[in-house]
Amino acid sequence: MQDDFHDVTWLTKTRAEGDVASWLARLPYARFIGISASPDGEGNGLIYRLEPHEYNVGNVLLPAIHGGVVAAFMETAGTLDLMLAAREPRLPRIIDFSIDYLRTARVVPTHARCTLLREGRRLANVKVTAWQANEEKPVATARLHFVLSTPEDPSG
Amino acid sequence: MIPDDLDDEAAGFRATGPGPDAWRTALNRFVAVIPHTRELGLEVVSVTPPNVTMRLPWRDELLGDTTRGLVHGGVLTMLLDTVCGSAVLCSLPAPEVCPTLDLRVDHYRPALARLPIMARARVLRVTESIVFTEGILWQEPERPIARGTGNFVRLGSRNTPPGFGEALFSGVDDHAG
Repeated sequence: MQDDFHDVTWLTKTRAEGDVASWLARLPYARFIGISASPDGEGNGLIYRLEPHEYNVGNVLLPAIHGGVVAAFMETAGTLDLMLAAREPRLPRIIDFSIDYLRTARVVPTHARCTLLREGRRLANVKVTAWQANEEKPVATARLHFVLSTPEDPSG
Repeated sequence: MIPDDLDDEAAGFRATGPGPDAWRTALNRFVAVIPHTRELGLEVVSVTPPNVTMRLPWRDELLGDTTRGLVHGGVLTMLLDTVCGSAVLCSLPAPEVCPTLDLRVDHYRPALARLPIMARARVLRVTESIVFTEGILWQEPERPIARGTGNFVRLGSRNTPPGFGEALFSGVDDHAG
């Protein structure tokens, strides 16, 4: 195994184990801004988390987390959640991304939950909602379109 | 992509105020005050109000696909948000705090590791409440990697902290351009 996303054996194994931590460990920018994932307490999939690092701040006056960092967090969550939720191990490539900012993201942990709205043969649509103290009061919603490709089989 | 023949006046942009060099200094200060862009070493290359060009130097933390050497898509979104938001600042009669309302990013091709990423944004329209912008990213000329459309909310002078504009330009010669 090459232990990376392009190795279908590794991808299949980590996916079966729900080992999103191994995926995040291989995404330097996601690691840099401080993304992690843990199971939702009620068994409803994963909740992603963004650390409120000082260098994630985008507005020192409010202060607030950089809107672009919140976007990068939600994009990462949407990508990984799709890799888990898809019918088979496939690698998503982003076509486009759209985010609506609803409230100021304070310098506290931010959480996100994803919903796979459509998985076709080649395309997928994922919705992501991010919040801080209260899931009922989201700080942002986002949606992504992806092209799905099949990872390489090293034996073939 | 970004039309060059757009009439700035029709867009609601006022050509008065500080010149290009004063704005470049002010926006370099702006991105150095933002902790995330300071950490990444983002530079303002040139400003022709309300057009802004920036350069994000390479560092390994920008990677998204280490095997293929591709930049994380989120870096591109962050960069478009920053460059469009900076263009907003120099499109107004006086700088106001303008949070992003929404942003849409189209990914044309992957960005490659070990190359700086260039970003350019312009303001398409300023209304009483909203500033409409678009931005483009590239590494090689004529090969755009992503395009963004960002709308920003004008909070107005009432909700802008006193001294916000002055802080951008303190010590900068207003007529230096």
